[in-house]
Amino acid sequence: MTLAGVANLAVNGLVEGAVIALPALALTLVMSIARFPNAATGDLMTLGAYVAVGVQAVLVGSAFGAPLLGMAVATLAAVVACAIVSVAAYELIFRRLGRAAMVASLLASIGLAFLIRSLITLVVGHEQHTFALPLVRAWNFGGLRVLPTDLAIGAVALVVLAAVFAWLHFGRSGRLLRAVADNPDLARLSGIRAQRLMWLLWALAGVLSAIGGVLLGVKSVVMPELGWELLLPAFAAMILGGIGSPAGAVAGALLMGVGQELSVPLVGPTYKIAVAFAVLFVVLLLRPAGLFGRPELAR
Amino acid sequence: MDAYLVAVFSVVLIYALLAIGLNLQYGETGLINFGHVAFFALGAYASALLALRGWPLPATFAVAAAVAAVAAVPLGLAALRLRQDYLAIVTLGFSETVRLVLQEERAITLGVQGVPGIPKLFGALGGRATDLAILLALLVAVALAAWATHLLKTSPFGRLLRAIRDNETAVTALGKDPARYKIQVFMFGAALAGIAGAFYAHFLTFISPEQFVPLVTFYVWMSIILGGVGSLRGALAGTLLLVAFLEGSRFIRDLVPGVAEVQMASVRLAIVGLALILFVLYRPQGLFGRQAS
Repeated sequence: MTLAGVANLAVNGLVEGAVIALPALALTLVMSIARFPNAATGDLMTLGAYVAVGVQAVLVGSAFGAPLLGMAVATLAAVVACAIVSVAAYELIFRRLGRAAMVASLLASIGLAFLIRSLITLVVGHEQHTFALPLVRAWNFGGLRVLPTDLAIGAVALVVLAAVFAWLHFGRSGRLLRAVADNPDLARLSGIRAQRLMWLLWALAGVLSAIGGVLLGVKSVVMPELGWELLLPAFAAMILGGIGSPAGAVAGALLMGVGQELSVPLVGPTYKIAVAFAVLFVVLLLRPAGLFGRPELAR
Repeated sequence: MDAYLVAVFSVVLIYALLAIGLNLQYGETGLINFGHVAFFALGAYASALLALRGWPLPATFAVAAAVAAVAAVPLGLAALRLRQDYLAIVTLGFSETVRLVLQEERAITLGVQGVPGIPKLFGALGGRATDLAILLALLVAVALAAWATHLLKTSPFGRLLRAIRDNETAVTALGKDPARYKIQVFMFGAALAGIAGAFYAHFLTFISPEQFVPLVTFYVWMSIILGGVGSLRGALAGTLLLVAFLEGSRFIRDLVPGVAEVQMASVRLAIVGLALILFVLYRPQGLFGRQAS
């Protein structure tokens, strides 16, 4: 394997990691506030990708037919749809399970994942779809080949992540959200109204999943297993970074993305999920708190 | 028709073996195993591949149980150190990894096209007698498994397991080591799943990786939730309901014109998903369980 080959894999891994970072951030935020791993995150991504692909197909040929504008409108539709589904899932299911054991919410989220996926396949079938985007040639930097599309995907992911972090640290409700995550009782005692915040949290989880799904669909193809297959890498990223640490989730996702790609020459492209599992297992056994996590959340 | 019923009941009993193991792990010990299908798959493949190399079936069944039990050890070790939800994720990941290996290591497992021509259990009897003998063997296996778990539950060991589930710290304070018990329970449940897998392989005579998707794990979860977690009778009733539902959906497909199998598969998945949500919300104690105490 040449140096350029390794660099290509690393760049590809960074782009993939930036995409994984979005659901990983959604997972870790829900985990640190609602206290369960939301297994429906992956299939919410799939929903976002399908909504966007459908809207884009409708827009082609209309006034919004231009590729960039069309993609923007399609992504917006996906974001709105996933935010609504996510908040609805909270209101109808997870809010009522708030006092029940964690396993109840976890099982319900698995059920929700199955429900979303089955409704997608029932409505649009099992065929693969692709976004209608102009074909572009890869840029060649002395052997390092970069697809402009990949750069755009990475850039969008980073901008979204930056916006979320800015909101979490400087926005008023973002800071309240972090306070609730830190210590829910103390937050309540200081007069923070949790209800509206929970809506915000679940809407944000939906938005992150939607954008993650769209970007993943642009990078590869839109199919019913799109999100489910990313769930394990996203879990691994969350745990690698340390549960409850948003920055850790992003760092974990980038490491996972690069790690998965660099493992390709060693174990082949089909074992990516196995690599994610191996990372997950080793981190949990050796350092359950992850890279930046709070140990008390891990046990 | 009665050949069909014999086949359906054999499937019920295979699921019952899976449910008994999971019920012991989750219902009695509180271990959230989302990767039960992995041990089922390992048992099926171990037994099928060895039988095709000429091993006698009793030996392959024993190996199936052993392979599954040994595979559970590292996960059991992880279970000791992890919070419940982490174990759920790890076991789910494990089952997907096992499926991936079965799919990719064509040299050993024949990959996606599956393993055909597995020797049928009691194949020498021929025809109807074979099917009845399999059903009988499964009945004996389920009865033994149920009896063993009943003994476990009523023994001091069983009381300890429930104590671990309810308050692990207290158990540790009494000088017991919860770790050993958790691993043993994990291995026992996995061994049962391995035996179920061996029955499955030598009953169907064909296995492929796509028969071992995570959905199967959640079918088993469905059946123990339907019946009421922690109750052996409930687990058996739950499996009966589950298989009735799975088989019934096939009849509906045949009765309603224009419904393709892929659509029916989607409907089945939707119903399982919805049922999981509704049960967790409205009847966490299952259909037959008592109100939560």
